[in-house]
Amino acid sequence: MQSSPNMLTKFESKSSRAKGIAFHPKRPWILVSLHSSTIQLWDYRMGTLIDRFEEHDGPVRGIDFHPTQPLFVSGGDDYKIKVWNYQTRRCLFTLNGHLDYVRTVFFHPELPWILSASDDQTIRIWNWQNRSLICTMTGHNHYVMCAQFHPTEDLIASASLDQSVRIWDISGLRKKHSAPTSVSFEDQMARANPNQADMFGNTDAIVKFVLEGHDRGVNWVSFHPTLPLIVSAGDDRLIKLWRMSDTKAWEVDTCRGHFQNASACLFHPHQDLILSVGEDKTIRVWDLNKRTSVQSFKRDLDRFWVIAAHPEMNLFAAGHDTGVMVFKLERERPASAVHQNQLFYITKDKFVKSYDFAKNVESPPMLSLRKLGSPWVPPRTVSYNPAERAILVTSPTDSGTYELINLPRDATGAVEPTDVKRGQATSAVFVARNRFAVFNPSSQQVDIKDLSNSTTKTIKPPAGTTDIYFGGTGCLLFITPTTVALFDIQQKKQLAEVTVSGVKYVVWSNDGLYCALLSKHNVTIVTKTLEQVSTLHETIRIKSATWDDSGVLIYSTLNHVKYSLLNGDNGIIRTLDQTVYLVRVKGRHVYCLDRNAQPRTLEIDPTEYRFKLALVKRNYDEMLQIIKTSSLVGQSIISYLQKKGYPEIALQFVQDPQTRFDLALECGNLEVAIEMARELDRPNYWNRLSAEALAHGNHQTVEMTYQKQRNFDKLSFLYLTTGDEEKLSRMAKIAEHRGDFTSRFQNSLYRGDVEDRIQMFKEVDQYPLAYLTAKANGLTDEAESILEACGLTEDQITLPSVDGPLNVPNPLVPTFKANWPVKAAGHSSFEKALMGEVGADEDTGADGFEVEEDDQDAVLAKETLDDDEEDASGWDMGDDINVEEEVDFVNIESTEAGAGSSEADIWTRNSPLAADHVAAGSFETAMQLLNRQVGAVQFAPLKGRFLEVFKASKTYLPATASLPPLVNYVRRTTEETDVRKILPVIPRDLETIASVDLQEGYAAMRANKLEDGVVVFKRILHTVLVNAVSSETEAEQAKTIIATAREYILAMSIELERRKLSTDSPEGLKRSLELSAYFTIPKLEVAHRQLALMAAMKLAFANKNYNSALGFASRMLANGGSAKLLEQARKIKSQCERNPSDQIEVDFDPFAEFDICAASHTPIFSGSPHVTDPFTGAKYHEQYKGTVDRIADVTEIGAPASGLRLFVPNQY
Amino acid sequence: MDPFSSEGELLNIHNAFHSGQYQNVIDFETAAFSPENQLPARVLKLRSQLALGQTAEVLSAVSSEEDTPDLAATKALAQHTAGKTDAALQLAQDLAENYPDNATVQVLAGTVLQAQEHNDEALALLSKHQGNLEAVALIVQIHLQQNRSDLALKEVQAAKRWAQDSLLVNLAESWVGLRVGGEKYQSAFYVYEELATGPSTAAPLSVVGQAVAEIHLGRLPEAEAALTAAMEKYPSDAELIANTIVLNAVAGKPSEDLESTLQQTQPSHALLADIKEKSDLFDTAAAKYSPKVSS
Repeated sequence: MQSSPNMLTKFESKSSRAKGIAFHPKRPWILVSLHSSTIQLWDYRMGTLIDRFEEHDGPVRGIDFHPTQPLFVSGGDDYKIKVWNYQTRRCLFTLNGHLDYVRTVFFHPELPWILSASDDQTIRIWNWQNRSLICTMTGHNHYVMCAQFHPTEDLIASASLDQSVRIWDISGLRKKHSAPTSVSFEDQMARANPNQADMFGNTDAIVKFVLEGHDRGVNWVSFHPTLPLIVSAGDDRLIKLWRMSDTKAWEVDTCRGHFQNASACLFHPHQDLILSVGEDKTIRVWDLNKRTSVQSFKRDLDRFWVIAAHPEMNLFAAGHDTGVMVFKLERERPASAVHQNQLFYITKDKFVKSYDFAKNVESPPMLSLRKLGSPWVPPRTVSYNPAERAILVTSPTDSGTYELINLPRDATGAVEPTDVKRGQATSAVFVARNRFAVFNPSSQQVDIKDLSNSTTKTIKPPAGTTDIYFGGTGCLLFITPTTVALFDIQQKKQLAEVTVSGVKYVVWSNDGLYCALLSKHNVTIVTKTLEQVSTLHETIRIKSATWDDSGVLIYSTLNHVKYSLLNGDNGIIRTLDQTVYLVRVKGRHVYCLDRNAQPRTLEIDPTEYRFKLALVKRNYDEMLQIIKTSSLVGQSIISYLQKKGYPEIALQFVQDPQTRFDLALECGNLEVAIEMARELDRPNYWNRLSAEALAHGNHQTVEMTYQKQRNFDKLSFLYLTTGDEEKLSRMAKIAEHRGDFTSRFQNSLYRGDVEDRIQMFKEVDQYPLAYLTAKANGLTDEAESILEACGLTEDQITLPSVDGPLNVPNPLVPTFKANWPVKAAGHSSFEKALMGEVGADEDTGADGFEVEEDDQDAVLAKETLDDDEEDASGWDMGDDINVEEEVDFVNIESTEAGAGSSEADIWTRNSPLAADHVAAGSFETAMQLLNRQVGAVQFAPLKGRFLEVFKASKTYLPATASLPPLVNYVRRTTEETDVRKILPVIPRDLETIASVDLQEGYAAMRANKLEDGVVVFKRILHTVLVNAVSSETEAEQAKTIIATAREYILAMSIELERRKLSTDSPEGLKRSLELSAYFTIPKLEVAHRQLALMAAMKLAFANKNYNSALGFASRMLANGGSAKLLEQARKIKSQCERNPSDQIEVDFDPFAEFDICAASHTPIFSGSPHVTDPFTGAKYHEQYKGTVDRIADVTEIGAPASGLRLFVPNQY
Repeated sequence: MDPFSSEGELLNIHNAFHSGQYQNVIDFETAAFSPENQLPARVLKLRSQLALGQTAEVLSAVSSEEDTPDLAATKALAQHTAGKTDAALQLAQDLAENYPDNATVQVLAGTVLQAQEHNDEALALLSKHQGNLEAVALIVQIHLQQNRSDLALKEVQAAKRWAQDSLLVNLAESWVGLRVGGEKYQSAFYVYEELATGPSTAAPLSVVGQAVAEIHLGRLPEAEAALTAAMEKYPSDAELIANTIVLNAVAGKPSEDLESTLQQTQPSHALLADIKEKSDLFDTAAAKYSPKVSS
């Protein structure tokens, strides 16, 4: 027996003595009836008091929730039973009848009955629907302390201070109160007088068994939920277990341990355990099968009075002298560890299983840990070591034990582990490939151990350390109640420390750069060097967390899955109906373990946090994608964007012109602002826009807004500053027209127009000013005439002395013509992304030709290949390269000194492929091989490929300082260690060629970049020539690729020749027409052949060769394809059919079978002599024999050759 | 007490040296070391300087102290690095004859001998070691350079029996593992990954090791990620550049820029020498062939 000082207490209340407890079946509520006459309703999850019910007089001992209705019942020392509605918070009615204290009250699980036990020595059953007493059971001859219904059968158990436990059969009562079938006279009698006892005694409830064995009063009795077992607790300090059958009941065993009166007891709802409490201040847990103590918990001062179990969850509550406590017997968090795509976890049966995230499959049990720790204690943690495929499991048993176990290679069932290393520790984690750390809180010591479980190092952690976690390679995190410290094991020094209190779990991000520290109510994100990045607080308990691949922390509380970005922005992703422990998130799936240790997958919508993350990372493309594809709208996201300073992005979401205007101004997007101002067209908006535009220096917009506002003065001044004289004079006109003299005066001043000013003064009868102006500006005549008009002479006026006249400076720069180069506003990179995408869309739209896989074409290509093979077989010289033959290997097992052969040499021995020889650096033999296989004679074009392959063959591993690096050879046989089978890696495998290079070639064709295309296809040929494949199928595929490349090079060369040709002369024109016809012969992809046909058709048509054009058009129509092309072909066809003749005779017979000579680009009609290139299979007229192939520029036309080898059988 | 044991003073500086953190070694606070450890620490610092190319400084530092065999051996290595190969060889041979039991002499003279291809002499000298892990590592490397992975493996396994925990043994095992291949690639990867991610051991050396292992494992994207990240941190590390070139070649990507960078940082690098040699070889070999009819 052992005591566990750390009971998993979930909730504690402080009050007077708690005598009765009841769990709500669904909600996290608990009712507590107190000695002080109060009934309390608590939310034990939030820790809040929801309500108090105070109508009883004196202690309340019995309390129970109704299983389905919003009701509860209580019974007190005031002899009363009260039924309450907790929604209306009222006592509905009171049942009176007991003549002494009521000890317990319980609802029947189905029927509308309440069962009460009382000190008046009776047990009574009440119907709460008609509020009547339906049965009184007498027989006990002392206080009845407890009476309970059987959960399924018509039985009642009662416990009394008369030292007996009684089992009552109430099937008669049920019969009586169920719907009547046949009504006998007695029944009628009984129903007529319900409160009267039958004349032969009470038959409604009869005593079935009397269980005697306690030698003091019995305080409590409980039925087992499923088995025919009964448990009772008595003042004799014993817990007794009883069994019953239909006919008898007997005592099974006694649990001894309480050293004071045992107050209450019950069976564990799911496990084979008994729980009991007593006045000795202990809660005890007993093994039902062995009747031994499993666990006990002692309170210092408070005697326990009552215990209750939650009907579904793993929760218990016990009432004591100063309140209640809600607790768990065991941790429900399943131990688990994640490595790449695998989750390792321990089930409730203590089996180790794995779960594959990629395939969504659970493995069968791999290992049984039944022997780990004690049977009722689940393992606490598991740590996985991929290098050794070992796990490290800890169990809290015996104040902490750990075991190091190797996992079997394959999961074949729950085998008992062999070769287990174990020791004492509360925490154990792998810290490196071959090291793990264990922590012993009692000795405050961390031992670093190797895989044989021997200690290699000992570390003294900071005082008060409670736990250790993996801290990145070679490091540990020490958790103390207030801090987390990062410790380098090798250097034995503390690297960093951060003050975070109460950390319980540590979760590393997938890239190991960040780590989340989880406490009960806080998540703190720190870097790998423990610099705090952000922290957030949750009112609900935080349970678990895992990192998204993009660096978003997904965490779970008791009832939510939430996210947190590194910057601390967080939000709810979804709600949870039951607590889960997250282990991994991938895309829209969150993987977790539930409390039964079953892997589960939750669907989530990651849009919100992805969007916010994209925002933080300024990944505008992704944001755009999200905006377009999701329904992410609403005020919250707009205000979030605005708050975070991204008005330009918020702009994308908003339709409302007013908000759009505000946002546009905020981000300085004048275009949008103008648009919106036009829509709104109110002075206030123009005014704000003008101010903003002015700040930008965008005077054209300013002008427009002033015009809109009819703000003439400002306009004039604007024209003055921008030097727009023309508009300024127009303003003067307008002012004159409006008769606004001030404005006119202003304008004439701006323009330096003295005459106009004088004129204006005259008009307003300001002659002195007019005179003065004229005089000052030296307009003597004008001055004279004013004087004259006024009838004055010069002598009569005294003039102030004036300096020279004011000259308006001439504008040097015609600012008005264009805006100043203003600050780059309005085009955020986000919008650029937006526009860029639009552009891209257009591009794809313009890119008319789609590469279509055409089966027919493929078949054709294949046929050609087959032909080629036959052709080549004519040259087959037999297998003259017997490199594969038995070669005497240097016996590298010998221990003699001296150098061995390098891997490069081994490669050349292992392979007959040129590519492998190239990789080995043995260029001579490679060339020899190529010469024999395909008649290669001109190697210069292959130099790049040779060096590329060679470069990829070796890595350089720096070893001892000051010595050259160690050379290692890169293999394509990565799993192979047999030196006779190892082969070098060859870059650009067939797949790359097919998926990258070939597409590049097609793209060049589509884009009409034929020179580039030829280069690409030649490169493809060279790459295939020096290559290796892994199967016969791939070797076939290589041949197809060679043929394809050949056809394209041929076609492109023909067309390129035609383009160089001058068509001025009739010969040139004829040749041009011929070549364009030949261009349609090579076996291109259909879409590309259509291009060739189109070109040929147009050329023929333009040169009035209607017959040829007709032929091409018909072929195009036969090929099918894009409607636009076909339409053109149809048109030309119909025109040509009117006059199907050729004006220029060309050497092209559309009905004859022929190939094109790759050198002369002339037809080789079938049957006429020709030669073939051994590598590319291109055909030539006989005179080209012995020259270098024009297609790949490597091989000699017509050379004897054995055929290209790309595949080494038996090597894979 | 063994100075390199887990409790010894020299352990950390020693590990820093072997994980390639040369600047850390030079900056290491050694004043508090006990007198008998001062000399080995100093030698390590000098070797770090050599590794960082500060040859002249080292030569001048040891010039007046050649009576100490440890420092004389350092001088031999410095001379070798400086290109005075004959003098270095002479000195190394002398030292090997006179002080064959001095651990520093074994390692440093052994290095010089090996570097000048006196393999047998180097092995003979190194075989005299008494539990000197550096000597073991060097022996392993020599065996590997001679393509004798069988002997290298034996050496490592022997050393593992008495020094399983040591960084050097782990490294040497990885060197062999990268030769043997198969499952050993993965083990080597784990060793280097651990070094590359540990704060006290991260250095270009360990990243290169990790990336090399990944190239061998065929995990090109991972190798690329490791190398790219490291290149940003240490843009001029020759081995990083060289192996990035290799990676690019394996992945079928061009890397002319890197080759010219390497040409600038370390023109003598084996990769460049190999390419040059093979390029010439190609031209000579290709010249032997010609078409029957030249067109």
